[in-house]
Amino acid sequence: MIRVVALRKAVVAGLCGAAVMEAFSFACGKLGLPAVDFVGELSRLEFNGTPLVGFVAALAAHLSIGICWAVFYAFFFWGRFRLRPVVQGLLFAILPATLAILVVYPELALMRSGSAMVTLDVHRFFAPITAATSASLLVSHALFGLTVGLLYRKPVGYAADHRPPAPRPRRSTSRRAPPRRQGSTGFMFATGIECSYPTIEQGRWRRDEMDSTRHYDFWQEDFELAREIGITHIRYGPPLHLVYEGPGNFDWSYIDPQMEELEQYGPEPIIDLCHFGVPSWLGNFQNPEIGPALAEYATAFAERYPWVRFYTPVNEMYVGARMSALDGIWNEQLQDEGAYARAAWNLANASIQMSDAILKRRDDAVLINSESGEFYQPCCPDEHVQEIAAEANARRFLPLDLIFAHKLSDRMRDLLCSQGIARDDIDRLQKRSVPRRSILGVDYYEWNERLIDRQGNAVALGELFGWYVIANQYWERYRRPMMHTETNKTDIDGAPRWLWRQWHNVQLLAKAGVPLVGFTWYSLTDQIDWSIAMSEAVGLVYPVGLADLNREPRIVGLAYKHLIDLYRDVPDYNECKALKEVMQ
Amino acid sequence: MRGILDAHGYDPGPSQRPFLSGALSGVVATVPAIAVLLAFGALKVEAEILGMSPLATLGVGWAVMAAAGAAYARFFGRAANAVRGGWLFGMTFGFALWAAGAVLVLPLISHGRAPAGPAAIGVAVSLIVWGLGTGILVPFVHRPFHESMESAAKSADVGPDAAAAKDAPIRKQRQPGRR
Repeated sequence: MIRVVALRKAVVAGLCGAAVMEAFSFACGKLGLPAVDFVGELSRLEFNGTPLVGFVAALAAHLSIGICWAVFYAFFFWGRFRLRPVVQGLLFAILPATLAILVVYPELALMRSGSAMVTLDVHRFFAPITAATSASLLVSHALFGLTVGLLYRKPVGYAADHRPPAPRPRRSTSRRAPPRRQGSTGFMFATGIECSYPTIEQGRWRRDEMDSTRHYDFWQEDFELAREIGITHIRYGPPLHLVYEGPGNFDWSYIDPQMEELEQYGPEPIIDLCHFGVPSWLGNFQNPEIGPALAEYATAFAERYPWVRFYTPVNEMYVGARMSALDGIWNEQLQDEGAYARAAWNLANASIQMSDAILKRRDDAVLINSESGEFYQPCCPDEHVQEIAAEANARRFLPLDLIFAHKLSDRMRDLLCSQGIARDDIDRLQKRSVPRRSILGVDYYEWNERLIDRQGNAVALGELFGWYVIANQYWERYRRPMMHTETNKTDIDGAPRWLWRQWHNVQLLAKAGVPLVGFTWYSLTDQIDWSIAMSEAVGLVYPVGLADLNREPRIVGLAYKHLIDLYRDVPDYNECKALKEVMQ
Repeated sequence: MRGILDAHGYDPGPSQRPFLSGALSGVVATVPAIAVLLAFGALKVEAEILGMSPLATLGVGWAVMAAAGAAYARFFGRAANAVRGGWLFGMTFGFALWAAGAVLVLPLISHGRAPAGPAAIGVAVSLIVWGLGTGILVPFVHRPFHESMESAAKSADVGPDAAAAKDAPIRKQRQPGRR
C-alpha cells in the first residue's frame, strides 16, 4: 500500500465532484453559454434510440469516472503538498483537465463518428477543441477539483467521541507456528504493533495507529506473520481510549480476540498499557487524576488476563510529555516547560501506580519501562548553547529518574516545585523501593542524537555515538537490566544494515557486562504519518515495518528472520542469563 | 507518480515475482477485454487497421497484454499487491495504455488509420476493462508465486554482511517532525 485512503470519503468526494461538473454544464446550457456536457456527449454515443437509457448510462459512467479520479487523487495526490485541501484539489484538477482536452474530448468526437474507421491527422484529431470548449473543460474540471479537495480530508483517525467497529472476530485458521512457549527465559527477539493513540486538534481528532494500519482487521494475519519471522515477543498496546470507557467501565471486545490468540499461539505479549494518549474523558497528561485512573485500568487488565507476564505501564514517558506539553503536537498541545514537568510528573506517577497495581495481581510480573534513548550534544563552547544542551539532557531523564528513584537534578526538582508539586511528594518517590523485576528499555532511532547548533536549535546528528554509548549512559544512571525496545529505519534498502548494526551494539553492551534481555525492531508493519509525528491526519505511509501494509515482508523482515534463525539456538540466547535472573 | 511509488513501495518486495504474476493476470484479464472488443465490433476493425486476420490480432494482442501485465506489476510494485487500490491502479494503467497505444501509437504505425464510432468505444472500454481485471487479479495471483520467507531470508543480502553495506545520508531520510 502506498497511501492510506479513506475509500468512502473519496467515493463521496468523486460523486459530488462529478455532480457539480454536470450541474455547471447544465447551468451553462440554460444560460446559453458554450459548455461541454459530458453526460450529454456520452449519452449520444450508443443510445440514440433510447434517450432515457442513454442518459442513465451516461450519468452512471460520468459519476463512476468522477469516483475513479477522486480515488486516484486520494492515492497519488492528497497530502503531497503543504497546501489547503481545496487548493490541493484545484491543483490536481490540472491532470484530468489536460487529459480531457488532449485525449478524451477529441476521442469522444471520433466515437460519435458514423464510420468504423477514420484516417486521422493532428489537425483533424484536435478539430473539436476550440477556445470555448477548452475554457469550459478547464472550468468544469476546476470545479471538480475544488469539490474533491473540499470534501476529501483527514483519511485517517476519527472524531474523538467516535468509536470504530470492534476488531474482526477470531477465525479458525491454519497456523504454521507451534503453540506459545510458556515460561521461556530465552532472549527476547521482539517486534511491536504500532499502537499510538494521541489526539490532535485540541483533543477533537483521535489518531489511532492500529486503526490506520488496519490491525483491527488483520490482527490474526499480523500475529501469524510475526510468528513466521520467528518473533518471540511482541510489544502490544491495547487501545486504552476504546477499552477504558469510564471509571469501572471497560469494553474488552476491542482486545479479547487478540489476547486469546496471543495466549494460545504467541508471540508472548509485552502489554503496553498507555501509549501517548488517554481516553477523552480523562482529558490529557495535565490531569493529575490519570494516575489513579490508569491504575484502575491496570488492575482490571491484570485480572482479566492473568497469564500476561510482561508489561510496559507507560510507553516513552519523556516523548509523550515532550510532544504533548513542550512541542505542542499531541493531546494538550502546550508549549511550556512547566506543562512538560506536570505531564512528566503525572505520567511517572501513573506508571508507578500501574506497576504497583499489576504487582498486586501478579507479583512475578516483569515491568519493561521503555523510554527513548536521547542525547543532546552542544556544538561549541558558547555558554548559551551549552546551557540549552544541559537543560535538554536533564529533561530527558526526568520521568525515568522519578520511576527509578534516581536523585533528581536540582534543575528538575526546582522545575517540579515551581509547578506546585510538593517537595514531600517528590521525596516520597525518591525514597520508593523500585520493583525488582523492572527492566529499562532504551529505544533508539537515527534522530535520537541531536546537536544543539549555534542558534540553539536541535538538529539530528545521525548515529554519532550509537546505541552502545547512549544506552550505556542510561545503564550507568539506573543500573537496571536492559532491553533494546525500539528501532527502525526509513531508508528501505538501508534497513538491514541498520538492523545488523543495532544488533552488534546490543551484543557489545552485553559483552561489557550489561544484563540485556531483548532486542526489538519496531514495528511489525509500516506506520502511518510518523514522518510528520502524526501532527496531521494525512495518511502517509512510513515504510519502516518488517512488512508493508499489504502484510508482504520487507527486506528488513527477511534480515530479521535471518538474524533470529542465526542466534536463537545459540546457548547464550536460547537461555538468556539476564532474563533468567530477572524472572527468579 | 514514480516518486510516490519509489518512496512508499515501488520495490515489489524481496520475496515476490511481479513479472510472472503480472503476466498471468494480464493474460486472464484479456478474456473480458476480448468480449468487449467483440461486442463493439472493434476486433475486426483493429485487425483491418493492423493488416492481420482477427485470429492473428487476437494472438498478438494476448502476447502484448501479457507483457503489459508484467510491466504493470513491476512498475506499480508493492502498490499492485494492494486489494483496496489494485483495481484503480490497473484501470489507470489501462487508461494510459489506451491513450498511449490506441490513441497515439496505432494511428502512427498505420498511416493515420484509427478506429471510430462504436469500434473506438470498444477499444477504449476493453483496455479499461483489461486494466481493471489485471489490477483486481494481481493481488490474488501473486500470492501463490511468492518465494517462501524461509528461503528468501537465507539470501546473503540480508545476512550479517549487510552491516557493512552503504547507507543513505541522514538528510535524505525522512524523520519525524512537524510538517
